[in-house]
Amino acid sequence: MAMDLASVSSIWIAALFTIWAFSFVFRDNAWFKFAEHVYVGTAAGNGIVYGIDNVTRYGWAPFMKGSMYYIVLFLLGIVLYARYHKKYFWLSRIPIAIMVGTGIGLSMRSTVTSEFIAQIQSTAGMKILGVDPLTAFNNLLFLIILLCCIYFFIFTFPSMHTGGKWYISRIARYAMMAAFGYTFANGFLSRVTMIFGRFDFLKSSWLPLPGAMVALPISLILVIYAMLPAEKRPWPKAAPAK
Amino acid sequence: MSKQKKSIWEKLEDLPREVLYGILLIAFIIPMLNPFGFPVPITPEVRKWYDTIQALPTGSAIALDMGYSGGGEPEIGPFAVAVFHHIFRKGGLKTVCWATSNEGPLLFDKAMAEVNPDRYGAKYGVDYIMLGYFAGTETAMAALGKSIRGLTTTDYKRTPLDQYSIMQGINDATNFKLVICYTTGQDQSEGYVRQWVTAYKTPYLSNVLALMIPAMLPYARSGQAVSVTSGAQAGQMESLVKVPARGIASADVMTMTEIFVSVYVIIGNIAYFARRASKKKASGG
Repeated sequence: MAMDLASVSSIWIAALFTIWAFSFVFRDNAWFKFAEHVYVGTAAGNGIVYGIDNVTRYGWAPFMKGSMYYIVLFLLGIVLYARYHKKYFWLSRIPIAIMVGTGIGLSMRSTVTSEFIAQIQSTAGMKILGVDPLTAFNNLLFLIILLCCIYFFIFTFPSMHTGGKWYISRIARYAMMAAFGYTFANGFLSRVTMIFGRFDFLKSSWLPLPGAMVALPISLILVIYAMLPAEKRPWPKAAPAK
Repeated sequence: MSKQKKSIWEKLEDLPREVLYGILLIAFIIPMLNPFGFPVPITPEVRKWYDTIQALPTGSAIALDMGYSGGGEPEIGPFAVAVFHHIFRKGGLKTVCWATSNEGPLLFDKAMAEVNPDRYGAKYGVDYIMLGYFAGTETAMAALGKSIRGLTTTDYKRTPLDQYSIMQGINDATNFKLVICYTTGQDQSEGYVRQWVTAYKTPYLSNVLALMIPAMLPYARSGQAVSVTSGAQAGQMESLVKVPARGIASADVMTMTEIFVSVYVIIGNIAYFARRASKKKASGG
């Protein structure tokens, strides 16, 4: 299938930036720095475009249709920038307070139900009897670990963690370490999948393009060259120390 | 100054990161060039996800948040694409998409280019639609749940919503039979539990980065989320919908690299205990 110039050029740019970005795992170099700066700049530009788009779409458009109360919101938005003024910086606290208050209010309206009551209900509903042995064992283990972990975080009475009760905290610690291990393994899996995604892109989308098989070794050589210490490179020489 | 000779265990523990990454690169490239075809067993959570969509009656509306970032696309993207295949192949469902990540609309276009809804006869504005990016994360979720038209009257192409047949009779959370969220952010994945599940009892499917799974599992266990899956399980979804793509291709690579890391963790532990034992021996303990 023939591809248009925009698609081909975007694949080339994405491929080269992928190589430059990954080169950092071996050593910092100029190509990585270039990719990093371009990414930060692009992300910032994208954010600005979406910011302007949001204001025009959800603020300016309804205002022009006659929703006059939007003028209050525009004023609050403008006042946010008062933080850069030495004298009137305090004004920026008003919209920030509104945003923080709205955010907390919205999340609090259901936090107690979703993250407290529902979790307790679910735990209280766990069955040890009348279920298959494996489920019973899992549920029992869960309850033991739950109680031990709650015990572990009671710091008000230090005497609870001394004497003959040390093993409760020890069980909790091992259980938490197992949970951290599980999180680490999942984190690794996540990163592997992401790296695979980029490698697959290089293999399936970039390398089949004309010239890519030649560009790959050239770009790798250039990246390796950039990784060399400045004093070992014939060119460009390192800038003299000031 | 005399340099103390390092033992084999110390050398293993202090292996330069370039060597580690080099070995990891090999573990990546071999299965990519020569796939082993390891089986991809279907886990209960992916099966539950599939069954939930499969069980939706014809005419049901699905709210779908493309809330992931470009950085997370290689992981989340393949799963999202597989689910779009499922939705469009099943047919008769109304998929109303939006994004709580500002890259979401671009990633929606990318996913659609991969899925090619035309081959299932799915039409934009009839079977699916993208409303655009909404800033504010949880505030946006709450506002969308209350009234979509209160937040926007156009889609991401700036066409009025009333011109699309899909939007007839759809305006708030009560009109949806299911909410799906793909995300790389914890506030988004948990936000729907607070703003849609708790408030409107909407069944919820969540697809997150694998590293976010431990934090999301309590919601699945308590039934607040019908299923929580990670993007790394895309291969399973592709197997179920019978559209092999990036997810299945990554299965061999994941297995190889996980084996490599497991072996290195074991070696690291052996090295640690061996070093401790030798130190104890040297000090005469």
